[in-house]
Amino acid sequence: MIEDLFHEELRASLDHCIKCTICETACPVSNVTPLFPGPKYAGPQAERFRAQGEPQDEWSVDYCSGCGLCTMSCPQGVKIAELNAHARYAVKQRKGVPLRDRLITRPTVLGRLGTPVAPLANATLKLRPARVLAERLLGIHRDAPMPKFAGRRFRTWARRHQPPSTGTKIVYFHGCGTEYYEPEAGEKVVAVLEHNGYRVEVPDQDCCGLPLQSSGLFEDARKYVKRLARALAPHVRDGTLIVGNATSCTLMLKREAREILGLQDDPDLALVSRQTYDICELLLGLHDRGELRTDFQPVEDIVAYHAPCQQQGHWMGKPALELLALIPGLEVRELNARCCGIAGTYGLKREKYQIAMDAGADLFGQVEASGARIVACDSETCRWMIEHGTHRPSVHPVELLHQAYGL
Amino acid sequence: MEKLSTDLLVIGGGATGTGVAWDGALRGLDVVLVERGDLASGTSGRFHGLLHSGGRYAVKDPNAADECARENGVVRHVAADCVEDTGGLFVTTPFDDPAYADLFVNGCRDTGVPCEEIDPARALREEPRLNPRISRAFRVPDASVDVWKLAWALARAAQGRGARILPYHETVAVHRDRDRVHGARVRDSRSGDEFDIEARVTVSATGAWAGQLAELAQIEGVRVMPGRGIMIGMNHRLVNTVVNRCQMPTDGDIIVPIRTVSVIGTTDVDTDDPDDHSVLQDEVDAMLDDGERLVPGFKEARALRVWTGVRPLFEDRKEGGPASSRDVTRAHALLDHLDRDGVSGFFTITGGKLTTYRLMAEETVDAVCRQLGEPRPCATSTTRLPGSGDGKYLHVGDRLGRRERELQDDQLICECEMITRGQVEDAVRQRGTIDLDDLRRLLRLGMGPCQGGFCIYRATGILRGMHGINTEQANEALLDYVRERWKGAWPVLYGDQLRQARFDEWVFQGLLDVEHFA
Amino acid sequence: MNGSLHYDVVVLGLGVAGLTAATRLAEGGARVCVLAKGVGSTHLAPGTVDVLGYDPERVEEPAAAIPRFIAAHPDHPYALIGADAIAPALEWFAATLEHGPQPAYRYTGGLERNHLLPTAVGVARPSALVPQTMAGGDMRSNEPVCVVGIPVLRDFYAALCAGNLRNAGVPARAIEVDIDVGRVEANSLLLARRLDDPSFRAAFAARLALLVRPGERVALPAILGLRDPFGAWSDLERRLARPVFEIPTLPPSTPGMRVYDALVAALRAAGGRIVLGAEVLDVERSGERVTSVRAHSSGHDTVYGARWVVLATGGFGSGAIELGSDWQAREKVLGLALRGMPGPGEPRFTAGYFGPQPMSPVGVAVDSSLLAEGTENVFVAGAALPGSVPWREGSGEGIALASGHFVAQAVLEREGATATA
Repeated sequence: MIEDLFHEELRASLDHCIKCTICETACPVSNVTPLFPGPKYAGPQAERFRAQGEPQDEWSVDYCSGCGLCTMSCPQGVKIAELNAHARYAVKQRKGVPLRDRLITRPTVLGRLGTPVAPLANATLKLRPARVLAERLLGIHRDAPMPKFAGRRFRTWARRHQPPSTGTKIVYFHGCGTEYYEPEAGEKVVAVLEHNGYRVEVPDQDCCGLPLQSSGLFEDARKYVKRLARALAPHVRDGTLIVGNATSCTLMLKREAREILGLQDDPDLALVSRQTYDICELLLGLHDRGELRTDFQPVEDIVAYHAPCQQQGHWMGKPALELLALIPGLEVRELNARCCGIAGTYGLKREKYQIAMDAGADLFGQVEASGARIVACDSETCRWMIEHGTHRPSVHPVELLHQAYGL
Repeated sequence: MEKLSTDLLVIGGGATGTGVAWDGALRGLDVVLVERGDLASGTSGRFHGLLHSGGRYAVKDPNAADECARENGVVRHVAADCVEDTGGLFVTTPFDDPAYADLFVNGCRDTGVPCEEIDPARALREEPRLNPRISRAFRVPDASVDVWKLAWALARAAQGRGARILPYHETVAVHRDRDRVHGARVRDSRSGDEFDIEARVTVSATGAWAGQLAELAQIEGVRVMPGRGIMIGMNHRLVNTVVNRCQMPTDGDIIVPIRTVSVIGTTDVDTDDPDDHSVLQDEVDAMLDDGERLVPGFKEARALRVWTGVRPLFEDRKEGGPASSRDVTRAHALLDHLDRDGVSGFFTITGGKLTTYRLMAEETVDAVCRQLGEPRPCATSTTRLPGSGDGKYLHVGDRLGRRERELQDDQLICECEMITRGQVEDAVRQRGTIDLDDLRRLLRLGMGPCQGGFCIYRATGILRGMHGINTEQANEALLDYVRERWKGAWPVLYGDQLRQARFDEWVFQGLLDVEHFA
Repeated sequence: MNGSLHYDVVVLGLGVAGLTAATRLAEGGARVCVLAKGVGSTHLAPGTVDVLGYDPERVEEPAAAIPRFIAAHPDHPYALIGADAIAPALEWFAATLEHGPQPAYRYTGGLERNHLLPTAVGVARPSALVPQTMAGGDMRSNEPVCVVGIPVLRDFYAALCAGNLRNAGVPARAIEVDIDVGRVEANSLLLARRLDDPSFRAAFAARLALLVRPGERVALPAILGLRDPFGAWSDLERRLARPVFEIPTLPPSTPGMRVYDALVAALRAAGGRIVLGAEVLDVERSGERVTSVRAHSSGHDTVYGARWVVLATGGFGSGAIELGSDWQAREKVLGLALRGMPGPGEPRFTAGYFGPQPMSPVGVAVDSSLLAEGTENVFVAGAALPGSVPWREGSGEGIALASGHFVAQAVLEREGATATA
């Protein structure tokens, strides 16, 4: 049950809509499929026809990927994506949640299962018959990009890692992608932070609940994010900052858990929200104060940069671009495509995979045209999608900084 | 046009007039109804949409409460498709005399108004935006009515029984031959043609205009004191239940959720002219303050427009009437001018309220039949209207549900109110109108937040593409609508709606430049 | 301090005025950051540069009319900027769109003579500088027009447009050619994205070629591509072997988005930053100088320090200026003083839709250099300026461009003076 008054506050934002269509120009989904009539329709328009306890025959809002570009582009302050998330929740309440959605929205469960048997799991995920079976049984599209289990966990490395004895304390929120699939990205984040004088702490942590939230499983999502906030809060009461490289997950902590799940009264979450920084945001702040080390070695390469939707949802611009521009020799091509299409778990779903691919087509074409060898992008699921759609390697911008520092 | 002749001529196409036409037709009379404008474009179409439970009159006017309580059930039965079963709440706010609540309970008990006291916390759970400081809450079966749907359902029902329904026909003369009224002369306001209608009986169901109509029949002393009230339509349903303040009825004490909007009403200002639609700044300000008392944050919410309606409060000149219109009885008055003035073949039905339209029609047609010497029993309390056969209520989500089922079938033309191109075209053909304001009443075209910013251009383009409609007519339809919408918009233009108006100005004056049609 | 960044100039607003000011400033060497709550009016406006269309009769020659107009309207933005400052802004705009980082998007015209381009209802609307893709529609020519309706596009109606063209003396007829986009309704942007594809365009042109007659100009809703519209338009003209022109539709506006894309690319190329979603919360002041702007970002706020601020947030339409239900108007972003508000008891609006509306020219009070009253370093550009009714004058883009260009110049001059000092 969504807290009623909170929902009414969101709902009140529909009053700001002047129907101008700017959100429609931003929506990556409605531009490629008629199954989703668009953010204006699903958000402020449909909301006027929704009422507590009234019969409801909605389905199309389930095709919203929850990217949030509509809210960001709206000049009038309508909480479009948030309204859509609530409507999606109501659809799920009514129609039920498929097993598939319960499964793929729990990365920690998948990660714990897959890591010990990584070679087998990875081999299975590559097997066509296995994927066909997974599509039939679970509704996970056979061609959808699935990450490879690293076979080791980032936390195992972190526990063994010897931090410097001095430096500004900072808490690292690494997210599930780093933990199970890309531990080396986390190692690079730690190295870059240490290079800039931070002493990195890695407290115990679990999933932020974002995949659950975006699939309309609000109750479960709340449990996860509250637990995470409880785990992180004690480490930052002294003003210590939290930094993360999983940009979607840091956004969940910063804003979405409060503004979509209605957890604005949770004191731990409020604290964590305020103190959390995206890694590039943090480093750009350092640079602004003249505190970022710029002992970069030249990197002769061409990189295309795609700011994923959830990164843009931080409402902080694209700090990665300013940072990459500091690396001598590196040619950075800024892309202006809206979305890669994957939207977390959206593009994995059988009925949505092709929509995701179509939504990403503009980006894939831009990468192609850019002449870039690699693609920098702040979100891991987007990187997997970009690799899938462009057959080019995709890295977090910090990985390029790490390379340029020669660490 | 040649002369028409009929058993029963009904003048006035509001809820009462269409109700009389249906009742007469159902009893087998031949009926012609004339209305100077569109159906339900007078008082019926200019109220807040409340189907009274009777609670509002439980203390002050027990007879009215009793009537409402009974008719509420009947209207729900025969016109379910026009009724939203919102339920109602009477709440004691910190601004209300707490002693009234017990009077209210007793009043409801004595008048048969179903009333259940509930925990204020429960009321707040159901209506989260309600003032959290309410101390008592009572549930009553208030509901809201889409009056345009109702009037057209009645008209279609009557047409199904052979009645001729003539909107845009203004009565220019009432034919009186000594002591007998035998019809009227009407003018088709679109063609300008005039013709006579010969009728055995003529009923004036002209509400606040009944005095003017009686004068056409040279009958003096029919005084209807128009009580003018403003209502403000808010952009979305701030509440989903009709919410009343539990106090003696006064200004701005009720919010009615109807279709996609909520309406706060109303004021009561004596006026001489039933066509007086002026809105005073003070009234608007007071109404917004009243809204704030019921729903905190009301003044930051988006007001779409303001309109005025005139209550037909009947006062017979022969009796000494009270001074202020709110104190005049809300009960209806049926005047048999044979008894009253010695003129046969002529009745006036006025006063009353929408909730009792059917009862008023029944009493009127009973009297008509008596005078005709043809006893015919009334069946309108049990005969369901077209569209209401399955007894299913109207729901705010209906259009969204329909749209979701038909997403790939047709274009949305009015996005705010979810109206398709097919619906616009059908309505134009069926009604034979190119007046976009008629389509508004029929479909709610342009009644949402953008107030026609997008759909009016689209509807005009569709009109122009239809057979027999030329460019000048299409241009005029657009301009008429834009001007008409502005009337109800500018007195409450602030906040979000001012942004919208500015956007619409850019569309109409900047982008389309409709001021400079060649 | 965490969450703070420093710039020479912070520009508030991402419409034509803000983008023009920011790009000019960045080109002039300033470190610029644009903060915007959302996307601006570019996505809605028709993409033409209207400088002065009505005074109140139709203006044929803006260059000749502007001095008279300024004399009659001493509070108008043009009066403050000066007639001479308009042309350079237009030239800069046309050059940026043609020679900027995006594929060339050519504009034509200027202040000498207004184009009279048909609107979607077929009315001749006066515009000074127009996209080449629209210029062929000038209604002074009586070459016959074939207006092409696309049934799936619900934001343009060919028969209505053609009917009014005929009423205005331009021979015109309407035809319909549908575009299959696998759905029942589409806006102009969706069609434009399809027409970016050369093969899709070729197929469309082939069908169109069967229906248009020799000697006709072909009028299309403005859907001729987003990526390389000038290329798409040229391609279509070549394929049809006759003049083609676009007519702006209801929003979203493809031509407007082309302008946005081109100006954003130019701004980025010049090193300017853009932060979208950054609603301004408050500012720090030192005396009459605004020293920093605090803006909403997710989780925590971000403080943007600046030596100069350009306010280009728009007027009542964007919500940057708001009239409350208490009938008080406020500039919501920086709390600046307003000019032109009707006094207590005076009418704000009047009953005639096309009549005078006293609220219309209300805007932020500025001095003759467009500095906001009570500040030393906040310049105001675009629709936030008082003294004009752009949708009636046909002056919106002209004011946005000229004032954006003007304030950039003003900041650069003052920066230069500081640097020299």
